[in-house]
Amino acid sequence: MAPRTLEIATIDEDAEIYEDKTVHAVYDAIASHFSSTRYKPWPVIAAFLSALPTGWIGLDSGTGNGKYLPLPLDRPGDIWTIGLDRSRNLLAIARTAGGGELIREVVWGNVLDDGWRTGVFDYAISVATIHHLATQQRRMIAVQVRENEFCATLRLLQAVSPDHGRILIYVWAIEQDELSKRKVLGEQEVLVTTGKDVMVPWVLTIPATPGTGLSPGESENRPVYNRYYHMFAKGELAGLVVDAAAGLGLQVSVKPDKTEQPLRGVEILQDGWERSNYYVELRRWTIL
Amino acid sequence: MVRLITHNLLACHVKGCTSNNFPLEFKDAKLELREAEYNSEFIRGFLPKIEWKALVDTARQLGDTSLPLEQPEMLDDEFLKNLHHVLLEIHIEEGSMICPNCKHDYPISNGIPNMLLAEHEIG
Repeated sequence: MAPRTLEIATIDEDAEIYEDKTVHAVYDAIASHFSSTRYKPWPVIAAFLSALPTGWIGLDSGTGNGKYLPLPLDRPGDIWTIGLDRSRNLLAIARTAGGGELIREVVWGNVLDDGWRTGVFDYAISVATIHHLATQQRRMIAVQVRENEFCATLRLLQAVSPDHGRILIYVWAIEQDELSKRKVLGEQEVLVTTGKDVMVPWVLTIPATPGTGLSPGESENRPVYNRYYHMFAKGELAGLVVDAAAGLGLQVSVKPDKTEQPLRGVEILQDGWERSNYYVELRRWTIL
Repeated sequence: MVRLITHNLLACHVKGCTSNNFPLEFKDAKLELREAEYNSEFIRGFLPKIEWKALVDTARQLGDTSLPLEQPEMLDDEFLKNLHHVLLEIHIEEGSMICPNCKHDYPISNGIPNMLLAEHEIG
């Protein structure tokens, strides 16, 4: 199979309107088909959740079909993850994620909003979500940062405990591995530092309706939905964290042994790449 | 899903609504009780994060009076089991949550609370 090519996206209108069309509406339309293809947890995220102490409560900001809500599977109920998403149809699926009779806690909301007591969570994860946040080209040039990605990162830092809060953020990378077979149209072999805005098609496979004689693959109705993505360049995600930390007056470093005065900060524990995605793991700290 | 574990974390986030914006008050709440597996270690670990008065007041409004007004010093099994029930077994399926300050109405439908705001309400 030849690599799929992706079209470059141009955000020439209000970011919220653009996102509604190219992200929110799309996920509501493809929810059940999308969910049926998203069941395997990424190893980095599964390991992060497995290492958390019993009694911790967390936020999955952009939970999608809620596949991380039941984790860790080997000690169910030891931690409690609450799922937040913008797509009501995905939440309806997330509510029973993991199967069985168990009901998960899910909330319909926007990752840019702040509907929680500040610092109440012990941990937060943001998986394959921040790369869907659009910033209008004109505004991006004006403010020099991708303001919605900045805002979402800031919300994660605010949501967790200033003393021990742990965060894992996972986004799509420009550097794709062999398995995912995607490449950007007109891409050149140069070092990129700013990432790319692209449209990623989703071909909806409508299940055959009984009695119509259609079987999968022969369906005449296979609509294609285009989703907006920002593909992150190397270093871009950590840069976003540094900007958001600065916005909250947090020092980005290992927690110092002692300081002259009270200090708050965040440590970047991991900054890596896994299977076509970049991720960062963070830990907040406070010295009183 | 809104159980009291989640309700105890949610706060109103309408633009400018920054004080007395917690806890949200249930209105026309339709409840369902579902058994959940009891995990005393989780309950103990979660306890320090609870806003106690908000939890007890809300539980009483919903008809559950099993929790004491003050958090006990001794965490016996009976107390932890009552707390488990209040946090994890009472599901609010329909109704809404009203901000005590700005009166914003966050509707709950099929067990899912809608925390989205209109554009003019976003800070």
